[in-house]
Amino acid sequence: MIQINHLSKSYQGKKVLDIEQLSIPSGESFGLVGNNGAGKTTLFSLLLDLIQPDQGRIDNHSVAVFSSEKWKTFTSAFIDDSFIIDYLTAEEYFEFIGSLRGIASKDIRSQLEGFSSFFNGEVWDQKKYLRDFSKGNQKKVGLAAAFLGQPKLIVLDEPFANLDPSSQFKLKAFLGEMAKEKEATLLISSHDLNHVTEVCSRIVLLDKGEIKRDLQTHSSTLKELEAYFSGEDTY
Amino acid sequence: MHKKYFSHQLKKLKRAPQMEAKVVVKVFMALIFLYFITAFVFLGGVIYPAVSKKFIEVEAIYLINQAMLYVFLIGLVFRYFFQQSPVTEVQKLLLLPIKKSKIVHFTLLRSLLSPYNTTPLLIYLPIAISMLRDDYLFSEVFAWWLSLTLLTFCLSLMVFLMNKNMAVFITLLVLFLITVLGTYMDWFALHEYTGKALDFVIDYPWGIGFFFLLFLGVYSFTFRFFRANVYLDGDLNKKEEAVQSQAYERLNFMGTYAQFIKNDLKMIIRNIRPRQMTLMSFLFLFYGLFFFPQEIYADNVFMKVFASLFITGGFIMTFGNYVPAWESAYYKLLMTQNFPYRTYISAKWRMMFFSSMVLTVLALPYLYFGADVYLIILSAGVFNAGSGAWIALYGGLFNKSPMKLNVKAKAFENTQAFSLTQFLFTLPKLFLPILLYWIPSVIWNPIAGNVGLAVGGLIGLLGQKYILNDLERRYKKEKYEMISSFEK
Repeated sequence: MIQINHLSKSYQGKKVLDIEQLSIPSGESFGLVGNNGAGKTTLFSLLLDLIQPDQGRIDNHSVAVFSSEKWKTFTSAFIDDSFIIDYLTAEEYFEFIGSLRGIASKDIRSQLEGFSSFFNGEVWDQKKYLRDFSKGNQKKVGLAAAFLGQPKLIVLDEPFANLDPSSQFKLKAFLGEMAKEKEATLLISSHDLNHVTEVCSRIVLLDKGEIKRDLQTHSSTLKELEAYFSGEDTY
Repeated sequence: MHKKYFSHQLKKLKRAPQMEAKVVVKVFMALIFLYFITAFVFLGGVIYPAVSKKFIEVEAIYLINQAMLYVFLIGLVFRYFFQQSPVTEVQKLLLLPIKKSKIVHFTLLRSLLSPYNTTPLLIYLPIAISMLRDDYLFSEVFAWWLSLTLLTFCLSLMVFLMNKNMAVFITLLVLFLITVLGTYMDWFALHEYTGKALDFVIDYPWGIGFFFLLFLGVYSFTFRFFRANVYLDGDLNKKEEAVQSQAYERLNFMGTYAQFIKNDLKMIIRNIRPRQMTLMSFLFLFYGLFFFPQEIYADNVFMKVFASLFITGGFIMTFGNYVPAWESAYYKLLMTQNFPYRTYISAKWRMMFFSSMVLTVLALPYLYFGADVYLIILSAGVFNAGSGAWIALYGGLFNKSPMKLNVKAKAFENTQAFSLTQFLFTLPKLFLPILLYWIPSVIWNPIAGNVGLAVGGLIGLLGQKYILNDLERRYKKEKYEMISSFEK
């Protein structure tokens, strides 16, 4: 369970995030949508204690994020390029992240078994450093590493961006499975309304830092979101 | 083209994050640069009269010509470490509708005007003036000056090739070693022959033609090499290296720390800049050779301790000084992974601690200069391992500029990950230990000085729990600012 209370953040006097109250139950697949500057990445960064809020608090499975480091034991994330260590090979990268989460290096491949079709033969045994991987393949590595070690909370910022179409579908299928199993809480932000409504059971729409919609996904959710973003929304 | 380029550079500076700090650093660097220029001009001005006064029976310039070989050799080493390859600039130009050979000519010629080539001329010019006052003909002096300039250009071009071509690198390295060894062991004196070549130009100014031919040869060779390799994704801009996989299983006894140390080793081996810095820390190992064999430093405690600190602390100074910044590119990842901050700090400390121990052991040959010399090195090693490493980590708190790993550091332009506060932090690193040695050695005797220095190290070792707590608290406080400035 993630509990957010009175959370706000501004840069140079401009509010970029202002959330009165938001709770995300364990096992939920939670989608975050919004235009650029809506505050999606800000929210994720706050959740991961990468930036400091002006006020408010976040409790991640009863750990107060801004005062304890304990949330790191059960939380993992892939936000952007800066989550890649580019002078390592894919195997070494997984080994590094895995070892920090208590996985023996010999068990890494079996833990990532589920990604083999997503990897499409372009990740294992490449004999090159991640800096020589394509952007898309780098992203595959980073995304997969976020699932190592059965974290309770997985935060993915724009997981579909930069991936080729086949990889997007494979990732969507994988995330969909994860969402059904409800073993981990999934937090996903995306510009792709289609993908996010297919994967997530709940969608929150942010605009200029505020929650404008909070929807349980059903057949008309996509329509509703499209209406909002195309400006045809009559509310 | 130059004008546009200049205005872009100006904008880059004006709109850079932490603009004020960067301007301060630039001004500071400019002052240092100015200092060196003045020093060089001064050096050039005094060297000729000094030599002619000391050696009356030989022409001063002949001796200077012999010394030139060593000036160039030292220049070669310095350039190898710091001079940037001009191809980094090429990529931007490749998309413009300009002929490739023109681009290569342009880049190569412009690179000849870099400070690496213009600064040495500042030494030669005053010498040339001294020669004119000593009744040499203008044509003679000009030919001499021009040949040195051409040689400087050759050196500059050769360094580019050295960086890109293993064969050239090895050839030059072997020649270098043979020269140094041959002279040192008195087998032959290469400087006499190279000196004669320069003397020849003074005696027969038309000899400059040979130097012109040499320069043209080197230039056309470099040109052809670059022309053949300049493509957007060609060899020169991006090299896909063969992977060297290292497991470092032997480090596993260190538990959680092992992962970080393994990563650091990989970082050092696989990235240009940390590799360069680590290599430099081994060069510091030889620093003592400047001081210990010399009579004049026999009683100079200050210099001895100073040298010993560099011998054993080279790695702390070159690598340790930039500690969190090395990982600026993926700092966010580290900050979200499953380990507490103190493990990270502690792992870095261990790296530096071991480096000092290793360097202290590698310094054993200094025993040749006497047990007392090695005793100073040993106590400096204890100081660096125990406390020096902690001081470097405190310095890291002020280190908030991101660092690119896979590019070379630039001399004089090292604004990347350079901060004034951090520079100030190197002062206690040097003066504190010198005081620790000096005070007891003046009150009692040199042995007490050694003890004082070693105790300084032991304090850091014994107090590590307290220091670690304090560092952890401070690093946590700075975390957010570090993350945001590392992103810029």
